[in-house]
Amino acid sequence: MTYAEAVADGIWAADVARVGYIPSVTVAPVINALVAADGGGDGVSPRVTPLSREEEAVGVLGAVALTGALGAVVMQDNGFGNALTALTTFPLAYHLPLLIFANTRGGPGEYNSMIHSISQPMPAILRATGLPVLELDRRSNAGDWRETVREAGVHAVMTYRPVVVLGSFWNTDGKVA
Amino acid sequence: MKRIEALTTLADLTGRHPVVVTCAATSRELASVRDSSNHLYLLDAMGLTGSVATGLALSLDPAAPKVIGIEGDGSLLMNPNVLPTGGYLAPANLLLVLLDNGVYGSTGALPTYSSRVDLQRLAAAAGWTTRSVDTVDGLRTAFIDLLAVREPAFLYARIEPGNSTGIPKLLVDPVTIRDRFTRWLRESAA
Repeated sequence: MTYAEAVADGIWAADVARVGYIPSVTVAPVINALVAADGGGDGVSPRVTPLSREEEAVGVLGAVALTGALGAVVMQDNGFGNALTALTTFPLAYHLPLLIFANTRGGPGEYNSMIHSISQPMPAILRATGLPVLELDRRSNAGDWRETVREAGVHAVMTYRPVVVLGSFWNTDGKVA
Repeated sequence: MKRIEALTTLADLTGRHPVVVTCAATSRELASVRDSSNHLYLLDAMGLTGSVATGLALSLDPAAPKVIGIEGDGSLLMNPNVLPTGGYLAPANLLLVLLDNGVYGSTGALPTYSSRVDLQRLAAAAGWTTRSVDTVDGLRTAFIDLLAVREPAFLYARIEPGNSTGIPKLLVDPVTIRDRFTRWLRESAA
C-alpha cells in the first residue's frame, strides 16, 4: 500500500459518502486511488468529483452533513487561504462534521520559493480558528496514515466540526510538488 | 417587485422544499414573512448559498422535492464558481433563485456588477436551464415551470433595490438553525 493509497483507503474507511477535490500534483495519486475504489476513471467517479476552489468545496461537502452523512475534501494546504471564511462561517459555526485531507507545501522537498509564506504558518492558523489539525509525515508508515485519516473522520463526526489532516509526502513514496 | 414580495411568494411555493437562504437582509425578510423549519439561513456565509444547495441536492434523494437556493446578486458574485460547479455536477433536483437588485443591499447599497454583467446568461452558459422574471406573477409561473426541469435550474428575478423597514435581525445560534433544519429533513424523508 502506497501512502496515497493509504489516505484514500482511510477516507473510505471513515464512511465518507462523497469526496470533492481541488487538484494538486501531490494529491493526484490520492484522487486516482479514491476514484479507482469507487469504480470511476479519469479523475471522476460517482462519489468523487473535482471542484474549482476550496471555499466551494467547503460549501458543497459541508452540506453533506446536513443529511447525516460525511463529506470529505482533498486539497493542498495553501488553499486554506481561500477557505477560511467558508470554514468558520459554515461547518464550524453550524457544527457540521467534515473531513479534510491536505498535502503540505513549503517544507522539505519544496521547489517554489514563496509558497512557504502561506503553507508554513497554516497549522497554527487553522488551530487559531478552532479547527483540530493532525499532522503526518515520513516518520509514520502508510498504515498509520490510513488509520489517522480514518480516525480523523470519526473524530469529525463525534465532535460535530471539520477535522484537518495535513500530510507531508517528503521522503515517503509520494511526490512533494 | 420588492424583495419582500418575492420572498412572500417563494415562502408560499416552497413549503415542501428544503430552502437554503443567503445571509443578511434576505434571510431576515424571509424569516419575517415565514420562519419555517425547512429554511436553512446562512447567517454570515456570503457566497456559499449555491454551494451548500448544490451539496445538499447531491446528497438527497433525487426524487424528493427540489432543493431551493435563494441567493442575491452580490453574494453570487462573491462566489460565481457556483454556476460552473452546478452546471458540471448537474444535480437534477436543484433550483437556484437569484434576486437581483443590482446592489449589495445589506452593505450600503453599493453597486454590484449586475448592471453590466448578465447573470442569467452566465448561468445558461454554465449549463443551467434558466428563466427571467420581474413580477410576482412571473416569479410564481416560472418557479412552477422550473420545478419540472430535471437538471439544474436558475430563476433570475429582477427586484427593486432597498430593504424592508422594521425587520428584526436574525439573532439565532447557527446550531439551532442547523438542528431545526436537519430534523425537518429527516421527518420529511420519513
